[in-house]
Amino acid sequence: MDVFLQVLANGIMLGGLFAIVSVGLTLIFGIVKVVNFAHGEFLMIGMYLTYLAVTGLGMHPFAALILVVPVLFLMGALTQRLLIQPLLAAGDHHIQIFATVGLSTALINLALLVFGADIANTPPHGLRMPVEIGPVRVLVGQVVILGVAAALVGALQLFLARTRTGRAIRAVAQNRAAAELMGIDVDRLYALTFGIGAACVGTAAVLIAPLYPTSPNSGTYFVLIAFVVVVLGGLGSIRGAFAGAILIGLIDSFTGFYVSSDMREVAVFGVFLAILILRPSGLFGRQLRQSHVSP
Amino acid sequence: MRVLARVIAAALALSATAARADVKFGALFPFSGQLALLGEESARGVEIAVEEINAAGGVQGQKVVLVRGDAVDNNQAIGEARRLISLERVSAIFGSYSSARSIAASQVAEMSGVPYFELGAVAEEVTSRGLQYLYRTNPTAEDMAKLAIEMIVNKVAAGLGKKAADLKIGIIHEDSSYGSSVAGFQKKFAAAAKLDVVTAQGYPASTVDMSSLVLDLKRRGVDVLLQTSYQNDSVLFLQQANEAGFKPGAIIGGGGGYSMQPTADAVGHKVIEGVLDTDFTQYLVNTTYTPGLENFVAVYKKKYGSAPRSGHSLNNYVGAKLILQAVGTVKGFEPDTLIGAVKAIDVKDGITAVGYGLKFGKNNQNERAAMMGMQWQNGKLVTVYPDSAAVAPMEIRK
Repeated sequence: MDVFLQVLANGIMLGGLFAIVSVGLTLIFGIVKVVNFAHGEFLMIGMYLTYLAVTGLGMHPFAALILVVPVLFLMGALTQRLLIQPLLAAGDHHIQIFATVGLSTALINLALLVFGADIANTPPHGLRMPVEIGPVRVLVGQVVILGVAAALVGALQLFLARTRTGRAIRAVAQNRAAAELMGIDVDRLYALTFGIGAACVGTAAVLIAPLYPTSPNSGTYFVLIAFVVVVLGGLGSIRGAFAGAILIGLIDSFTGFYVSSDMREVAVFGVFLAILILRPSGLFGRQLRQSHVSP
Repeated sequence: MRVLARVIAAALALSATAARADVKFGALFPFSGQLALLGEESARGVEIAVEEINAAGGVQGQKVVLVRGDAVDNNQAIGEARRLISLERVSAIFGSYSSARSIAASQVAEMSGVPYFELGAVAEEVTSRGLQYLYRTNPTAEDMAKLAIEMIVNKVAAGLGKKAADLKIGIIHEDSSYGSSVAGFQKKFAAAAKLDVVTAQGYPASTVDMSSLVLDLKRRGVDVLLQTSYQNDSVLFLQQANEAGFKPGAIIGGGGGYSMQPTADAVGHKVIEGVLDTDFTQYLVNTTYTPGLENFVAVYKKKYGSAPRSGHSLNNYVGAKLILQAVGTVKGFEPDTLIGAVKAIDVKDGITAVGYGLKFGKNNQNERAAMMGMQWQNGKLVTVYPDSAAVAPMEIRK
C-alpha cells in the first residue's frame, strides 16, 4: 500500500511538472492559434537565466522570478510582433509552424554557442530536500511546482473570465474577425497573450531549474509532453491542460512501476490516442467548440 | 604568350613542390552542433599527434597537413567526406567520435577506396559491416559491457562479501542504439558469467522522471546496478535514486555522463561517492601503465590553455599517432600501401599513453583495445580497474 501511495504521489508530482510547462502553451495554442514549437526553448532560456541569476547574483531561485518573468514576457511579445504577426497575414498557417521550428533550432544553437553543450546546475537552496507526508516522500521543490501550477491555472481562469482584457482575449479566440469589428485591437491582444504565455513558462523555468540540470536540449525534453497535455485537455482550456497533465503524470508513473519503464511512452501515447478518438475536442474541449469556427 | 606559358609552368612547378612537401589527412569530426564539445575534444588529440609527428620530421619525410571536415549531422558527414576525398585529395581520414557519423562517412571513403581510421566511435556496426578500408583503434560498446561484468565478478562481489552468482543485477539503459547495444552485450556477458540479471529496462534519454524505475529497482532488491546513459539521464537517475533511498551495493555507469566532472558537480560529490564507471582511459591512472600520458597532458595544456575535458582527446591522440608512425615506415601514400602499413602494427599493452596496445584483428578492429574501470572518490574520477592501471583500490561499501 505504501508503495502504491508513493507511485501515486510521484505521478501527481510529475503531473504538476507537466502542468506548469503546459499552461503557457495552452494559452498561446488556444488563443493565438499558433503552434509554438519554440515553447521548450523559452523554458530552456528561462532556466539558464535562473541559473545565471542564482550563481551570478547569488539570488534565491524564487527571487529570480522578478528577473526571469519580465524577460520572458518581453521575449514572447516580441516573438509575436516580429515573427508571427507578419506571418499571420500570410494566411497559410503552415508557415508559422516552420517559423517557430526555425526559432527553436536557432535558440538551441545559440545556447550551444553561449553556454556550451555541458549541463549547468542551479544550486537548489533546499528545494531538493525531501518532505515526508505519511508514508510518501516528495521534494519541497516538487510540492511548490504543483502548488504554483494550480495557482497559475486559477489566476488565469479568473483573468480570462472576469477582466475586460481577459474577455477581449476570449472574444478574439472565438472569432477574430468579429472581435476586430467590435473594436478590439487584435494585434495588441495577440502580443499580450503570447507574452503572458511566455511569462508562464518563465515561471515554470524558475521552479524547474533548481531540480533539473539545464542544457541547450532541456526544452526538448518537456515540450512533446506539453503538446500532448494541451491537446488532451482541449485546445485553449487551461483547466483541461491541468487535468490532462495530472492524468499523463499518473499514467507515466503507474506504467513505469507496475508494467515496465520501456512501456511508459506506449501507455501515455496510447491513452492520448484513445481519448482523442473518443473525444476529439479533448477532455474539456466542449465549451470552446466555437473557437474552431473562427478563421 | 611565351611569358604566360613560363608563368604557368613556374606556378605548376611550385605547386608540385608544395604537393611533394605536404601530405594531407582529413579530420572528420562534429565541430559544431550538439556533439561539438566532445567532437572538438577528440580532434584536439589528433592535432597533437600530427604536431608531434611533424616535429619529429613528418611521415616519409613529408609534413602532415590536417584538413578539418565538420560532420555536424549524418548528411553533412557524407558531404564533408566527399569534399575531403575529391577536393582536398586526402590520403586517409581520421574520425569521428560519433558512431552514426562514422558509419555514414566511412561508407563514402570505402567506395572511393580511401582508408578511414576510426579513433573514437564505439558502436559495433562501425566495424561489423565488413568494410575493407575502415580500421578502428578504440575500444567498443562490447568492451565496455565486458569490463563491467568482469568488474562485478572479480571485485565487486568480493567487496560486497557475496558470491557473484548470488548478486541481483539490474540493467537500465537509454533506449537509442548506444544504450541498447551496450545493455545487450551486458546481458550476454552476464549470462556467460552465470550472473542473475533480475531486470533489464530501457527508457528514453529525454525522460524527465525516473522515480518509478527507481522504485521498481528498489522493490526487486537490486544489488548491482548497471546504467548506460547520457549526461541528463545519469544525473536524473543518481539524484532520484538518492532521494528515494535506493542504495544498491554498487552502481556501474557506462561512459557518457558518468565520466564528466559536471555530472559529479550536479549530483553532488557525496551522492556520487563510490559510483563506478566504465569508459575510455581517463587521466587519474597509474602512469607506469600509460607512459606518455603526462607529456600529452602538458602539451595539451600548453596548446589549448586548459586541462583535457575528457579522455576522448587522449584516445584519439594515441590512435592517430600509432597510425602515422606506421605510415612513416613504408613508402608512398597509396591506399593499399597505407593499409599494409597499419596491418603490420603490433604494439603491446602497457606502453602507450592509453594503456591498451594496437593490433588489428577480426573486422579490422583493434583486438587489444580495452576500457578501464573508474570510481568517483572524493569528487574525482580515479582509475580502479584493472590493477595494473589502478591508482586507488576499488572501495565497495558492504
